[in-house]
Amino acid sequence: MPQDTIRNFSIIAHIDHGKSTLSDRLIQKCGMVTDRQFKDQLLDSMDIERERGITIKSQTICLPYKAKDGKLYSLNLVDTPGHVDFSYEVSRALSSCEGALLLIDAAQGVEAQTLANLYLAMDYDLEIIPVINKIDLPSADPESVAMQIEEDLGLEAEHIQLCSAKTGEGVDDILEAIVKYLPPPKGDADAPLQALIFDANYDSFRGTIISCRIINGRIKAGDTMLFMANKISYKVDEVGLFGLVRQPRKELRAGEVGYILAGIKTVTDTKPGDTITLKDAPASEPLPGFKEIQQVVFSSIYPISTDEYENLASAMEKLTLNDASLTYQKDSSTALGFGFRCGFLGLLHLEVIQERLEREFDIPLILTVPSVCYHFHLEDGTMKEIDNPAYFPDPSTISRTEEPFIKATIHIPERYMGSVMTLCMERRGENTHYHYPMPGRIEFTCEVPLAEVIYDFYDRLKSITQGYGSFDYKLIDYRKSDLVKLDILVNGERVDALSQLVYRANARQRGLHACERLKEEIPRQMFKIAIQGAIGGTIISRTTIAALRKDVTAKCYGGDISRKRKLLEKQKAGKKRMKTVGNVDIPQKAFLAVLKSEER
Amino acid sequence: MPPSFIKDPAGNAGDKKATIYLHIPFCKSKCHYCSFNSYAGRTNEIGDYFKALNSQMRDMAAQPWSQNRSFFSLYIGGGTPTICDSALLADLIKNCLRLFHFTDHPEITVETNPNTISTEKLYSLVQTGANRLSIGVQSFSNSLLLSLGRSHTADEAKHAFTMARQAGFTNISMDLMYGLPGQTLQEWRHSLEIATSLDPEHLSLYELMVEEGTPMAAKIKGGGAFLPGEDDVADMEELTASLLAAKGLKRYEISNFAKPVFTSQHNIHYWQNLSWIGMGAGATGSLSGIRMTNVPDPATYIENIRNKQNPYSEMECLCRQSRFRETVIMGLRMIEGIRIDDLEKRFAMGLEAYYGDTLKELTEQKLLEISNGFLRLTAAALTVANQVLARLV
Repeated sequence: MPQDTIRNFSIIAHIDHGKSTLSDRLIQKCGMVTDRQFKDQLLDSMDIERERGITIKSQTICLPYKAKDGKLYSLNLVDTPGHVDFSYEVSRALSSCEGALLLIDAAQGVEAQTLANLYLAMDYDLEIIPVINKIDLPSADPESVAMQIEEDLGLEAEHIQLCSAKTGEGVDDILEAIVKYLPPPKGDADAPLQALIFDANYDSFRGTIISCRIINGRIKAGDTMLFMANKISYKVDEVGLFGLVRQPRKELRAGEVGYILAGIKTVTDTKPGDTITLKDAPASEPLPGFKEIQQVVFSSIYPISTDEYENLASAMEKLTLNDASLTYQKDSSTALGFGFRCGFLGLLHLEVIQERLEREFDIPLILTVPSVCYHFHLEDGTMKEIDNPAYFPDPSTISRTEEPFIKATIHIPERYMGSVMTLCMERRGENTHYHYPMPGRIEFTCEVPLAEVIYDFYDRLKSITQGYGSFDYKLIDYRKSDLVKLDILVNGERVDALSQLVYRANARQRGLHACERLKEEIPRQMFKIAIQGAIGGTIISRTTIAALRKDVTAKCYGGDISRKRKLLEKQKAGKKRMKTVGNVDIPQKAFLAVLKSEER
Repeated sequence: MPPSFIKDPAGNAGDKKATIYLHIPFCKSKCHYCSFNSYAGRTNEIGDYFKALNSQMRDMAAQPWSQNRSFFSLYIGGGTPTICDSALLADLIKNCLRLFHFTDHPEITVETNPNTISTEKLYSLVQTGANRLSIGVQSFSNSLLLSLGRSHTADEAKHAFTMARQAGFTNISMDLMYGLPGQTLQEWRHSLEIATSLDPEHLSLYELMVEEGTPMAAKIKGGGAFLPGEDDVADMEELTASLLAAKGLKRYEISNFAKPVFTSQHNIHYWQNLSWIGMGAGATGSLSGIRMTNVPDPATYIENIRNKQNPYSEMECLCRQSRFRETVIMGLRMIEGIRIDDLEKRFAMGLEAYYGDTLKELTEQKLLEISNGFLRLTAAALTVANQVLARLV
C-alpha cells in the first residue's frame, strides 16, 4: 500500500455523542459487513461496554475505501476509550494518527471531555475534522454548534461535516473529507524501525496481539524485535492488518497501523506507549511520550465465599492478560479472608473490573472501600506510601502526611456556576479558575484532592448540574494533608473492609454518612444491629437497624408449592451473596455504598 | 391422554390416601390484586368447561393410580365456583363421588364469594354432600372492599354467612386480608371482630401479596396506593394472634385458624406434601411426587380434553432429596410441625443427618424446636418463617 493512500485517524468525542455509532456506520459504508451482519456498535465488543455505551478496550480497524478520485485508500480507524479514567490510553491511540474526527452532538454542543480530548489531539499536531452528529434530532442546532466550533475552538468552519450516524446521512462526505483533509502518514520506510504500541490484547491461542503504528522502518515475520522501555526481545511470528478479523501481511511498513504476534504470554511486557525496534538494527532512540500507567484508586477484592479464592486468583490472572492497567497483589483481611489488593485507573475502571469478574467468571465479590495512595512521612525520617487503611501507621509516629491532588476541568452552563463552586469548596478545592469558552458556558478548573473525587464527586456534579456538567481530571502533585482512620463497627465488631482514611476535619461527617448508607443497604435481620463509626477508640457516629419483624409468606396451598419453594431457593441464593461478619449478613453493595451518595 | 406413565399403582406406605381438587376458573369480576387463574366475562364457556372437567375426571378415575387409593377430601375452588348453576355443581360433585373411591365421611369444600350465592344454591350444595363452605370475604370495610375491586359489600358478606348457616353448613370458613393499602390496625381489629362475631369454625387470614402484572401492582408503583410498613403489618399479626386465641380459634398453620376438629383436612394434606389429583384449567396435582399442572386457559383446556390430548402444560419431578426438603418447608408451616418419624420413614433419610449443623444452629437460635417427636418453628420464628425456611429449602 503506497504511503500516500493511507489515512490514520481517531474519533474523539464526549460520551454519548455517537462515536460508536459513527464507527459502525463507517465500517458498513466501506462494505466490510452486509446490512444483515450489521450489529449495533460493532467495535464495542464487551457486554459491559455495550450496556454502558462506552468503549473500554480500544479496537482498531482498517477500512478499504474507494474515493471519488478513483484511488483505493486504506483508512485506519483507531478507536479510543471515552472516559476520563482512560486518558493515557487515549493519548497513545492519538499519537498513532495524523488526524481525528471531532464528533460533537448537534443538540449538546461542546463538552468538557470534547475539549480535553481536542487539546490532547492538538498536542499531537493532529489535523481535526469537526463532525456535527445527530442532525436528525428535533433539538439539533447545527448552526450554533458550528459557530461554537469556529469561534470557541478556533477550528476552520469549511471543514465541518454534518451527519447523522444513526440514519447514515452525511457519512459519505465524511469519508471523502478524511481522504481530502487528513495528511498521509510521514515516516521513512528505510529508516531503523520505530513502532508505537498503542494497545495490547490477549488471545489464548496466539498470545498478546500488539496493536501498533509503524512510524519509521518496516517489520516482518522472522524479525527479532526489541521493546525499548522494557529491553525485552521477541521473535515476530506474524504481522498484519486489522480487518473484522486479522489479515496477515508479509510486512508492515512506515505509515501503517497493524498488529504483531510473537507468542508473548506476559501482557505486561507490551506496555502501551513503548517503542518497538529491531534488535539487530535498533533505532537510536525511542519515540517520545512513554509513561508507566499509574493506578490512582486502590481497593481489595475478596470472594464472598472463601473457597472461591483459587477461582478468583485464576480470574485475576486471565483478566490482567487483557488489561495491563489493572495491578494486583495478595491481600488478607480478618473479616473477609484472602483476596487481592488492586490498583485501578479510576472508579469507573474499578466498577468495570468488578462487573467483568462477576459476569465472565461468575464469582460473587466484595470490594473494600476504595482509597487513593497517601504519603506518610514518619518521625524516623522514612516515607511510606500507603493505599490500604489496614496499614495506617500509628498516628504518634507520623510527622506529616501528603495526599494526591488533581486538576479538575469542569464544563458547565453558566447558571450552575454557584453550586459547582460550592461543591468544589466542600471538597477542599484550591486555586479555582474559570473562563467563558463561549457565551453562557463556563470552563472551571480547580485543584482538588483525588480522595474527594473518588468520594461521589462525579455523581454529585451530575446531580447539581442536572446532567449538564462534565468533568475531566489529571493528577498534578502531592500536598500536605491531615488524615485519620475511620473504622466501622457492626455490632461491636470492626469490619476492616469498611475502614477508610479520611481528612480529619471531615471525619465526623463521613462517619455519619457511612452509618446512614449502611443502614440503608443492610437488610433487617433477626436481631438489632448497631452500626458505629469510630476513630481510634472514640465512637463518632451511630445508627441502629431494628430487628426484622416479618418475613413470612401468608398463602401456600397445593398449586403454590413449586413457586413458593423457588422463592425460598432464591432467598437462599441471595443470602449466599452476602458476607457474614460476626453474625450480620452484609450485602455486596454495602461495601461500595459508603462512598456514594444516596441512590434515588 | 391420562398419565399412565405413573407406575406406582399400589401406592407407598402412607401414600394410599389422597384428595381431589377441582378448579372452576370463572369469576364475576377480577379483583385488583388477583393473579390467580380466573377469568371474568367468560361465563359462556361454563357449559363446555364442565363437560371437559367431567371428562377429565372419568379418565383419571380409570387410572390404576386412582383405583388403588381412597380419597378423603374433595375441594372445589376457583375462581368462584358458585358463579355456576346449582345443577352443574351438583352433577360435578355427584360424578366425582361416584367415580373415585371416597372414604365414608369425606370433607367436601366449596369456595364461594358473598354475592354469587342464594339460599337455594347453598341448599343444593348441602344436598349433594358439600359440608364445608369457604367464603372469600377479604374485609368488612366497604371502602377497602372497593379499593380491592371486590364486587360485594360488607353487609352482603354478613348476609351470605347467615344464609350458609340457614342452608345447613356447620363448617364455614372465611378468608380475610390484611396489610392492605390504606388499612389501619383499627380497621383490621374491626374486620376481625365482625368475623368472629359471626362465629365461624375456621378463618384464613392472608397478608396482601402484590403480584406483578395486577392493577394493584400498577397502582402502587404509580404512587396511587401505599402499603402499610413492615412494623404496621407485624402489629396486625400480633393483634390477630391475641384476638383469635381469645375467641377459641386456634392457629394451626401460618395463615389458618380453627376451632378444635375444624381444621381443613384438605389443606393439611397439602402441607404434608402428599398426593392429590388436580383437575380443571390451571389446576396442579401431585401424584406420588410427580407434579403436573393443566393448561391455564379454559378454552385450551376444553379443546385438549375434547381432542383427547394431554391437558398438562407443566410437569415437575424432583429428586428424593429435593422432595424431602420441600416436605420440610411445607410441613413447618403447620404450628404442630412435622412428625419426624413419618418424614424419615417416608424418604428413608435422617433429618439430623441430612441438615447437620444448620439444624443445630437453628435450634440454638431458638428458631426451631424438636419436642415429642415433632420438628416445628418456635413461636418467635413464625413471623419470620421465611428466614428459617430459606435455610432448609
